[in-house]
Amino acid sequence: MARWEVFKKDNARKPYQAVGSVHAVDPEHALHNAKNVFVRRPAAVSLWVAPAAAIFSRSAEELENQPLDPTANGHEQRYLVFRKASNRRSMTFMDHIGETSAPNGESALAQAIDQFDDKPGLAWWVIPAEAITASEEDVAEAWFAPAATKTYKQQSQYGFVSKLREGRKGAVTSDE
Amino acid sequence: MNNALKNALLNRLIGMADDELILSHRNAEWTGHAPLLEEDIALANLAQDELGHATVLLGLVEELNGKTPDQMAYFRDAAEFRNVQFLELPKGDWAFTMLRQYLFDAYETILYNRLLTSSYQPLADVVAKFRGEEIYHLRHSHMWVERLGLGTDESLGRLQAALDQMWPLTAQLFQVSEADNLLSEEGVFPLAADMADEWQEIVLPHLANCSLHVPTHATMLLAGRETHTHFLNDLLTDMQQVARWDPSAEW
Amino acid sequence: MTEEQKTAEFEERIGRDEKIEPGDWMPEKYRKQLIRMISQHAHSEVIGMLPEGKWIPHAPSLRRKMILIAKVQDEAGHGQYLYHAAETLGVTREELYQAFLDGRAKYSSIFNYPSLSWADVGMIGWLVDGAAIKNQTMLAQCSYGPYSRAMVRICAEETFHHKQGKEMVLKYAAGTAKQRDMVQDALNRYWWPSLMMLGPHDSESTNTPQLVKWGVKTKTNDEVRQEFIAETAPELIASGLTIPDPDLHQDEDGVWHHGPIDWDEFWNVVKGNGPCNAERLGMRQDAHDNGQWVRDALEAYSEKKYGAAAFA
Repeated sequence: MARWEVFKKDNARKPYQAVGSVHAVDPEHALHNAKNVFVRRPAAVSLWVAPAAAIFSRSAEELENQPLDPTANGHEQRYLVFRKASNRRSMTFMDHIGETSAPNGESALAQAIDQFDDKPGLAWWVIPAEAITASEEDVAEAWFAPAATKTYKQQSQYGFVSKLREGRKGAVTSDE
Repeated sequence: MNNALKNALLNRLIGMADDELILSHRNAEWTGHAPLLEEDIALANLAQDELGHATVLLGLVEELNGKTPDQMAYFRDAAEFRNVQFLELPKGDWAFTMLRQYLFDAYETILYNRLLTSSYQPLADVVAKFRGEEIYHLRHSHMWVERLGLGTDESLGRLQAALDQMWPLTAQLFQVSEADNLLSEEGVFPLAADMADEWQEIVLPHLANCSLHVPTHATMLLAGRETHTHFLNDLLTDMQQVARWDPSAEW
Repeated sequence: MTEEQKTAEFEERIGRDEKIEPGDWMPEKYRKQLIRMISQHAHSEVIGMLPEGKWIPHAPSLRRKMILIAKVQDEAGHGQYLYHAAETLGVTREELYQAFLDGRAKYSSIFNYPSLSWADVGMIGWLVDGAAIKNQTMLAQCSYGPYSRAMVRICAEETFHHKQGKEMVLKYAAGTAKQRDMVQDALNRYWWPSLMMLGPHDSESTNTPQLVKWGVKTKTNDEVRQEFIAETAPELIASGLTIPDPDLHQDEDGVWHHGPIDWDEFWNVVKGNGPCNAERLGMRQDAHDNGQWVRDALEAYSEKKYGAAAFA
């Protein structure tokens, strides 16, 4: 079954971020799976899915060892650009940082690296805009808001356990 | 609220809560056994949403009869449950589960829409909170019926078999008791029979688009919500065994 | 560049706390070890749904039922995240899963023990998830980016599992006589397997030194086991329950000493001879077989609507 990368936008100020992948056979199926897997807890306002096969991907190390060779083959189209710019501990991989237009993935990445030079990229993805399917805006409330009501999944709901711990001298806790 | 109206409302609230509780139980049985890991997760989502709705509705019941949601769920016998029969049937195969979900989601979407303007404000308030989840459930089950109906011969065959079995039982959703007329007159609860046309307008075209044939000569189930199959008894034996093993305990 | 030079450079990257990402060069042994670890971990999450999932229909209150469904659901989700991480190393979920069903891949030995009473759900949450969190917190620092990210996400969710279990155990330990007996029985059965699941002693653990060097693991099995006992034992004792190890004690330096672990039992279970190995794998095989027509239908639908291999 095809693999789809999932991008989640947590709120209006956050970019779409690569959170992981799901297996699915078509874009609608992939969106449902993405919602069920990655929105079990808050927060999300929108999701994108893209078939993993449509992604042109390079790590910094790959770029160093094998420079890009942009050619003009293919038809000019929009590419969305994603970049990982930090090694800090995180549950997300790439951030969506913008878009470019190019005849193919390799050219799109070459342009993106020039265009988005504010930070060095540790890893890059470019994805044709037409390969990306977004959750519909008019159903966002129904799809994403209810997760916030599932408070029993939050460890803070079991807070008295922590208090009990604090009363015990020398106890080390892994809960934080 | 006079006693007759209160009892009629109580009966309806218990019916709604039991529908959610029993369907949740059946859906949760898929956790760990679904055809695709992503669907283990999806069915557990459905089960949680439905269990959440049941708990809130039983909270409204408690305001009227003083029994806690746990007492209602764990210390009533089958004859006291008011869910419709097709929700208590075993989970069956994936086609049965998804079709049942679809037919019920369509019904609930209509019911919740109407209850938004219920003159019983506590009910209107809680339903407003359920609606988002219900809209999502319907999208999910709608998607699945389409993929199974338009998938392989086997998936269509299984889906059709599920429809043949289930269709006559859906009539129970639209059964009306005398007391229901009272609720309807007071704007508390819509008359179930009035929702049948709207329900058919939603489900019939989709079923047809998915290559399914609605049975034409089926004998529809006209029994009230107080009648059950032996499957409910089996389900409750599972559900209530630990709670009843030590009824004095807090769990 | 020679293999040795590449490896030296790779180890320098790890030394600088850089994450290794898909596409980066890595020693073949690193890749193999990661596939082994991540997939075992994924299988453990998937099989881990069963011992507790079995009790969902019997949960004795609406609240407990809701919590348990959410918890078992998280386990499916965690398996899902981990298969994703493994897939970035050039294997597919399907082939990993097939190896698991065929009995060629291992998974955590703890899930081959039966869950015999409702209290096991609490004990699994507190002890088994507590032990798992120790490992997972460490693995969140792992040098391989996708594994680390999956673990960060899992740790954020898993803490709730641990706490709900602990809440349940403490409540039942202070509950009715029947509840106390039930929860003590659960402790009797789960204490030793929980210590075992943290892996063989350092002296017997052949993979550990290399994994520590490559930044996959940052602590040894015995170090993690010590932390686990130090966190768990005092609270179990304070709750009035009896830990089934007469030799368990804390020395003057605060170090915990436990009685000898029955490693024969451990290896026996790991090798597939545990009380429930066959039953658990059988259930997953059934789910897989019963789901085949569903997956076929999905593929057929997609092919009719979008053409063959439209998204591959």
